Amino acid sequence: MPLALITGTSRGLGRALAERLLAQGWTVHGFSRQPDAWAPPGFVAQAVDVGDPVAVRSAVAAITAGGATIDLLINNAGAAAMNALLLTPPEVAADLIRVNYLGTFHCLQTVGKAMVRARRGRIINVTTVAVPLALEGEAAYVASKAAVEALTRVAARELAPQGLVIAAVGLGPVDTRLTKAVGAAPLARLNQRIGRPAGTTIAEAVDFLLGHALDPHLANGSIHYLGDFPPA
Amino acid sequence: MLTRPEALQLVLHRLAALGRELGKPELERADEQTRLFGETAQLDSIGLVTLIADLEEDIRRATGRDVVLADEKAMSRLTSPFRRAGLLADHIVATLGAMPPA
Ligand SMILES: NC(=O)c1ccc[n+]([C@@H]2O[C@H](COP(=O)([O-])OP(=O)(O)OC[C@H]3O[C@@H](n4cnc5c(N)ncnc54)[C@H](OP(=O)(O)O)[C@@H]3O)[C@@H](O)[C@H]2O)c1
Repeated sequence: MPLALITGTSRGLGRALAERLLAQGWTVHGFSRQPDAWAPPGFVAQAVDVGDPVAVRSAVAAITAGGATIDLLINNAGAAAMNALLLTPPEVAADLIRVNYLGTFHCLQTVGKAMVRARRGRIINVTTVAVPLALEGEAAYVASKAAVEALTRVAARELAPQGLVIAAVGLGPVDTRLTKAVGAAPLARLNQRIGRPAGTTIAEAVDFLLGHALDPHLANGSIHYLGDFPPA
Repeated sequence: MLTRPEALQLVLHRLAALGRELGKPELERADEQTRLFGETAQLDSIGLVTLIADLEEDIRRATGRDVVLADEKAMSRLTSPFRRAGLLADHIVATLGAMPPA
């Protein structure tokens, strides 16, 4: 039975990704700071702050201790903040880097080592269409995800010789807690810009992400954006 | 805890396994002095990363301890602990010795 580790499974996209993989017969391990009581067969949750490298290491060791190998890591845990650049509190900028970039870095590094030992594995990092669109009002969030994209490309080159495939998937607006604070009008404008005026359901986002994650021909270092739009 | 001879044994055992995997018979005859990286080394940077990842797991199996061999101290030392097999064995013993009791 293939085994996936997904970060950010306490709600939103991470939860939906876990549900889909479980339905396809995967074993799924999930990290989030505050896991709820959700415990379907095949799912194991751990309370982990992905920004804490020591916590990440011991949680990954708990998965691999019995000799299990991780086939797929989805670095999905993330936070967002919409602020005019000049009004963004430094703490917010630091927190977005900590969760989005460093969280991805720590999980990639720790699980990457386990995958190097297995000489194979696949890692998908979750990013956003806001990066290629250079979306105004999201500078700190966009910069943290741009760092995730750069990490993806370098990691893919560095770890390809050991059999790892690493790529990123960039989503557009999806109705989760992350977008609750954003007004309907800016979301509608963004959906127009990416050629998806009707928006994207969670199920469609999961289809798109897993379509790439499980594609046997997934190109190492590739970044796939939902929608159809010219870059900014 | 690991003794120095046990740590060296782990390193040499791993080097031999890597030698078989990479088709480098010299690694199967590795000893204390075998150079791990640098101009005349037996491993390229990919091989070194693989060796460290494999060794961290070997150490966890042998001791139950979760070690990171490439920590900030190790990476900033003037004489890299990854230069020779014997230095790496010293580094493993020192890293385990510096850990708080489990
Ligand atoms: N929704 C969108 O429109 C959209 C668009 C583009 C990209 N994305 C990306 O999609 C991913 C998932 O977002 P979402 O919409 O599902 O957001 P969400 O509903 O807010 O869920 C975020 C998840 O991440 C976890 N998380 C946050 N900080 C964490 C930390 N420090 N350590 C461990 N887990 C942490 C949360 O769990 P806890 O709070 O329990 O820790 C939660 O499970 C994010 O990377 C986001 O940037 C979303």
